[in-house]
Amino acid sequence: MCRLRTIPLPYFYGLLLLLLLLLFAVSLGVGAVAIGFGELPGLVQHRLSGAGSVNALHEALFWEIRLPRSLLCLLVGASLSVSGALMQSLFRNPIVEPGLVGTSAGSALGAALLIVLGQNAFFSQFALLGSLLAPACAFVGGMVATLLVYYFSASLNRVNVSVMILAGVAVNALANGGTGFLAYIARDPQARSITFWSLGTLSVASWKMVGIVCISTVSGLLLALRLARPLNALQLGDAEARYLGVRTERLKFSVMLVNALLVAVATSMVGIIGFVGLIVPHVLRLLRGSDNRYLVAGSSLLGASILLATDMLCRVLIAPAEMPIGIVTAFIGAPLFLYLLGRARRGGQKGGFYA
Amino acid sequence: MKTKYWGWLLLPLLTACGRFQGKHEKVEGARIVCVSKQLTEFLFALHQGDHIVGVDLSSTYPEEAKKKTTVGYHRHLSAEGIAALDPTLVVHQGDVAPAEVMTQLAQLHIPVKVYPAGSTLDSAKIVLSLLGKELGQEPVADSLNRVLDADLAAAATQVARYGTKPRVLVIHFGQQRNQYFVIGTRGAAKTMIELAGGEQAADTSGFRNLSPEVIVKLQPDVILATDFGWDRLGSKEKFLDLPGLALTPAAKNGRIYRVEEHDLLYFGPRTGKNIQALAEIIHR
Repeated sequence: MCRLRTIPLPYFYGLLLLLLLLLFAVSLGVGAVAIGFGELPGLVQHRLSGAGSVNALHEALFWEIRLPRSLLCLLVGASLSVSGALMQSLFRNPIVEPGLVGTSAGSALGAALLIVLGQNAFFSQFALLGSLLAPACAFVGGMVATLLVYYFSASLNRVNVSVMILAGVAVNALANGGTGFLAYIARDPQARSITFWSLGTLSVASWKMVGIVCISTVSGLLLALRLARPLNALQLGDAEARYLGVRTERLKFSVMLVNALLVAVATSMVGIIGFVGLIVPHVLRLLRGSDNRYLVAGSSLLGASILLATDMLCRVLIAPAEMPIGIVTAFIGAPLFLYLLGRARRGGQKGGFYA
Repeated sequence: MKTKYWGWLLLPLLTACGRFQGKHEKVEGARIVCVSKQLTEFLFALHQGDHIVGVDLSSTYPEEAKKKTTVGYHRHLSAEGIAALDPTLVVHQGDVAPAEVMTQLAQLHIPVKVYPAGSTLDSAKIVLSLLGKELGQEPVADSLNRVLDADLAAAATQVARYGTKPRVLVIHFGQQRNQYFVIGTRGAAKTMIELAGGEQAADTSGFRNLSPEVIVKLQPDVILATDFGWDRLGSKEKFLDLPGLALTPAAKNGRIYRVEEHDLLYFGPRTGKNIQALAEIIHR
């Protein structure tokens, strides 16, 4: 721990990247079907050049299920953590997570609408979306909720952050109420589907999803890195940031949009995965302070690693069945977070949120 | 350091859920994964029990089905988990989720067969015949269907003798904060009760939470409590203590009985015998 605080930043990123690559490689071999690590080079070689002979099931499994799943996991982990870092900085509040402005609750409502009322003629107009209809519904729900929160918090050309939190709480309540009502009128299996959706799963991964989430994550991450410096100024306060030449209203709107992009796309594909967006930025902040440039970059690497590790557990804990990932993130994330929090408080060397 | 031990404490908790332990068995010939409780029962009835290598969590009949490896709840499947059992055939009835799982299985070149939902007596017989044809067990399927028809006819003559038509309420989860989870008019239970010479007391469609007041208003002559709710409360006397129930004719005459949930949820080869037993219970 102490070493991690003092080594130069490039080395620290190097370590995180190494951890990510290691976990990614391990995750390719872990699952209900045991694919030996020795097999992996052969599988790749066979696919690329047709040389050698491999287990056909393992090959199909590796290319169609395992690899897209691990990639999706990495992208979603990065998305959620980066948006967590952005939101905590924007609100200058440590308990903020990406779901606070209603994005994930809105997505859940969108998904629940389709699960319960999917037989309705209204949805058959969008049949051409195929398997992406569910993500599309969730995405629309998430976006509508986020924009609703923004509409209420931005009046008279000023964005009021505390109104944003309150509006977020209200929109969350509204969306949760809607989801609850749908679960109530749903038949038993539909209600279970809503429950599972709100706990998240990565077993649905396909190359199409990886492509879509890749676009949103990479563009979101690049935008987030650009926003990091003005966000640092915003930590001084609204007025101070404006004196420093930051266009604060525009900044707040951009952060909201980037957050909505990252969270709505990721959540619409895999369901709600809580807690990652909350703890990853905190872990990094406890390690090396709260420069947002470092937080955004570090969150993308550490968030991806943490979600890869938890997804591996989901795959093997009760194999051949599968654990919803939301349960595992909470069970692993919460104790880890409490432990770090306890250490930081005992150390007493931190200011800011942890004083 | 203490935190470490918590991890080890959690581990046995998870493994203690016995149904999740992988039981890899050597099976000659076909290896079937079945993610539908109705099809599981059919497969066992068609003497294919030995070929089943995996079932879903809701497949609880017959008793042997509970000893099979489970691939999880049928609305939360994972393609890899199913593939890990190395199946030569996966059967389901369309009520599976996430939908991507079946596409993924197709990409793995694992044969998947979808059967229609056997939600009426006739369609259940057709599904059984189809399944029998697929597995080369047509004669068995035909004789099972003939036995079912004979049992139903016997049930009809039995019911004709009774003369009364009691109002029957099926309570599913017992009680949860004074809300009763009741099986309504949609689904197999309504048909079964009618064939057994009773009348469905609940007029809501599907499964519904009903308040104690509605239970009193429904005035059921007989209350059937499914195994889960009954076993949690323990006895008929405990059931009588529940709010609302005491004011029903069923409670006043002590006509509250336990039934197995999986007997009422779908049709199958046993349905004829179940209806005979049900008729005896509600006219007791």
